[in-house]
Amino acid sequence: MNEKHITDVLDNTALASLPESEISEMRAHAVECKPCGDAFAAAQVSAVVMRERAQVVIEPSPFFQTRVMAALREQQAESVPALLRLWRSSRALVSSMALGTVALAVLSLTVSAPATTALDQTASALSAESVILGQDGEELTYEQVLNAIYTDDEDK
Amino acid sequence: MTVSDLSNEEGEWLEQQLSDPDQGTVENSLVASDLADRVLSVLSPEDQQALLMIDGEQASIKEVAEVTGWSESKVKVRAFRARKKVREAMERLLGSRDKKPATVESR
Repeated sequence: MNEKHITDVLDNTALASLPESEISEMRAHAVECKPCGDAFAAAQVSAVVMRERAQVVIEPSPFFQTRVMAALREQQAESVPALLRLWRSSRALVSSMALGTVALAVLSLTVSAPATTALDQTASALSAESVILGQDGEELTYEQVLNAIYTDDEDK
Repeated sequence: MTVSDLSNEEGEWLEQQLSDPDQGTVENSLVASDLADRVLSVLSPEDQQALLMIDGEQASIKEVAEVTGWSESKVKVRAFRARKKVREAMERLLGSRDKKPATVESR
C-alpha cells in the first residue's frame, strides 16, 4: 500500500466499509504522501458528513398535522354549502323536468295503443268508398250514385 | 466552494472535525448535514441518491440497484464518480481553509 497512491481505493469504496487494517495502512501512507494525505483527510470528512446527512430525518413540524386537518375541515365546510346552494337553485327545475318526463312516459304507454285503434276505425269509416257506398255497407244503385253526384252539383 | 462560502457554524464544525472528530452533538449533526448538502450540490440528483445510500446509509450496491432499478454496474459507476467529486470538492474546501485570510474570523 505504501508505494501505491490511495486515491483509487478512496473513490472506489465507502471509507466506513473498509476494514480497520486497510485504513491503518492508508493512514500510514497518507503521512508520507502529501497528495494522498489531503485526499485521505477529505475522504474522512466526507464520510462523516454523508453519515450525518443520512441520519438526519426531516420531520414535519408538530403543528403540521393540525394545520392540514384544519385546512381539510375548512375546505369541506366550504364545499357542502356550495353543493346545497346549487341543489336549492336547481331543485324546482330538476323536479319539474323529472315530473314532465314521467308524465310523458305514462301517457305514451297508456294512451298510444287505443288511440291508434280509434283512429283506424274512424279512417275506415270515413273512407271515400264507404261514403259513396253508404255507411251501412249496402251497395247503392247506379241511379242513386248519379243522383247523389248531380244533386251535390246543383246545390253548388 | 471554499471556506468563505460556509456559515460560521459550518466552519467551526469543520475545524472541530479535523481536530477532534469524536466529539459530536445533535447540533453538530445538523451542521454536518447542512455541510453535506453543500458538498452534494456538485452532484446530479441520481449521484446524490447513490452516494447517500451507499456512504451514508451503508447500503450495498445490490440494495441500491434494487431500490433505484439501475444495474449494479451503473450503481458502482455512479457511486465512484460521486465519491470522487465529493472528495475533490472537500479537498478544495480544506485547501481553502489553509489560505483563509487571517482577518476573517469565524465570529
